[in-house]
Amino acid sequence: MATSPDIVSPAMYLDGIPHTRFSEIMSNPGLMWHPYQDGGFWVVSRHSDVKAVSKQPKLFSSAIGHTNLWDLEADALEARRSIIDTDAPDHTRIRRLVSKVFTPRNINLWENVTREIAGELLDEFQRAGGGDWVNMVAAPLPIRVILSILGVPVSDADYLVELSNYLVEGTTDQPSLAPDAFGNTTDLRLLPFGSPASHALFEYGEQLGLKRKSDPKEDVVTQLVMAEEDGNRLSATEYRNLFHVLVFAGNETTRTAIAHGAMAFAEFPHQWERLEADSQIHAPAVEELLRWAIPVLHMRRTATADTELAGTSITEGDKVVMWYPAANRDPTIYDHPFDFDISREANPHFSFGGGGPHFCLGAFLARMEIRILLEEMLSRRLALRQAGAPVRVASNFIHGILSVKMEVV
Amino acid sequence: MTGQTRLCLDVSRCVGVGQCELLEPELFRVDDDNGTATIVNEPVLPSQRAEVIVNQCPSGAIQIDTSINPTLVKPLGTD
Repeated sequence: MATSPDIVSPAMYLDGIPHTRFSEIMSNPGLMWHPYQDGGFWVVSRHSDVKAVSKQPKLFSSAIGHTNLWDLEADALEARRSIIDTDAPDHTRIRRLVSKVFTPRNINLWENVTREIAGELLDEFQRAGGGDWVNMVAAPLPIRVILSILGVPVSDADYLVELSNYLVEGTTDQPSLAPDAFGNTTDLRLLPFGSPASHALFEYGEQLGLKRKSDPKEDVVTQLVMAEEDGNRLSATEYRNLFHVLVFAGNETTRTAIAHGAMAFAEFPHQWERLEADSQIHAPAVEELLRWAIPVLHMRRTATADTELAGTSITEGDKVVMWYPAANRDPTIYDHPFDFDISREANPHFSFGGGGPHFCLGAFLARMEIRILLEEMLSRRLALRQAGAPVRVASNFIHGILSVKMEVV
Repeated sequence: MTGQTRLCLDVSRCVGVGQCELLEPELFRVDDDNGTATIVNEPVLPSQRAEVIVNQCPSGAIQIDTSINPTLVKPLGTD
C-alpha cells in the first residue's frame, strides 16, 4: 500500500508546491484523511469540493479551533481571533466596517497612487539593470499601497515589511526571533503566527490608533478606532487583530503573487510577447497570474455537524482543509492546468478562496495592483529574465518567495 | 433561453464584497455608510445573467426571487 502523501512538512515546499502529490490525491475518489499531530484532517482538493466547503459557512465553521491545521487553546484562540477566524454575526459586523474601503469602486480611486509607486520602483529596477525582484518591486509596491489606503505613514513601510517577513517565518518550522524580540513579554501562544513580530505589529497599530483617536484624520485607521455607531464598535482585541490582518495580508499575499508572476512570465516568455501584443488580454492575464501564484496554500474549516462531501462521511468536529493548489490545477476545470496561459476565457481560480463570506477582502486591490504593474512594465518595455533559482519559504501555508534575481532583457 | 429573472438581496448575509456592483453597476451599489449592497434599480435580468450574478456573490446574499413577482420567473422545466 502506498504511504499517504505528505502535504504538510514544510520541507515539501522548498522546491515549490508538491503538485504531483496534490494531483494524486485529487484523482482518488472521496476525501483523503491526512494524519496530523494526534489526529488528522480531511484533504479537500477538487475545485467543486473547495467551493462547497467555502460556500457553507454554517456547516464548515471558521471560528472553531482555528483556521490553521492545529487547534489553538481557548485563550490563544480568543487572543488571536481575527476576521479570518470568525463566523457570522461577528464576521459580518467586522467585515462591514472595512468592506467599503475595498469595493471595486473605491479601489479604483487608488489607481493613480499605485501607478506612481509602481513607476518609481520599475524605473529604479530598470536603471539598475535588474536585481532582487522581491526586494526591489514585489515587496515595496503592495506595502506602500496598502499603507496609503489605511492611512499608515508610508515612511514606515520598510519596518512593516520586516515584521511581515518575521510573520511569514512564523509559518515555517524555523522561526529565528527570540521570544523577547521587539520587547515582547506576551506568551507566544497568544500571538498570531506565534511570533514576537505580532507583538510589534499590535503595538504599532495600538499606538497609531491612539494618535488617530486624539487627532482624527480622513483615513481607515481613524474610521476603525471611531467606529461606534449601531453597535459596530470594535473591541480592543478586534481592532488590533484587524489592523494586523490588514497590514500583513494586505502586503504579503500580493508580494507573493507579483513574485510568482514575474517568474511565470520568465518561464513562459511567449506569454509575455502575447501580453505586449494584445491589450485585450490584460484582464485575463491578471487572473491567470493569480491562478498560477496561489499565495495562500490552504484554509481550514471545522464541521459543525455530521455531513457528507464527495461521498465521504464527515463527523462533527472534524477538520476540513481546503488546498487551493489542487483546486487551481483541477483538470476538470482547466485544460492543460500546468500551462501558464494568459488568455484563458474562464478562470474561476481560488487564489482569493473558494467563495463564501471569507472571500479575500483585498481581491480587487490585488487585481488592480497587478494590472497596473503589468501596464507600467509594458509601457517601459521592461521584460524580465530569471537569473538563478528563487529562495522559497519552507511553509505549507504561505507560498512565499524571499528573493529571486531578475535581469532586464 | 430568454426568460427574465428577478433577483433579491438578503442584506443580513451581505459582507459588502462589491462583486454585484462590479458586474451590474446599474442595479447594485455597495453603500459607503453601512458597507452592504443595496438595490438601486429593479433587479431583473435575463435568466442566464441572473444566474451568473447569484454565483458570483460570495456571501450568498443575492438570490433568485421567486416570491415578489413569480410571473417573471419561468416555471422549472419549461426551458
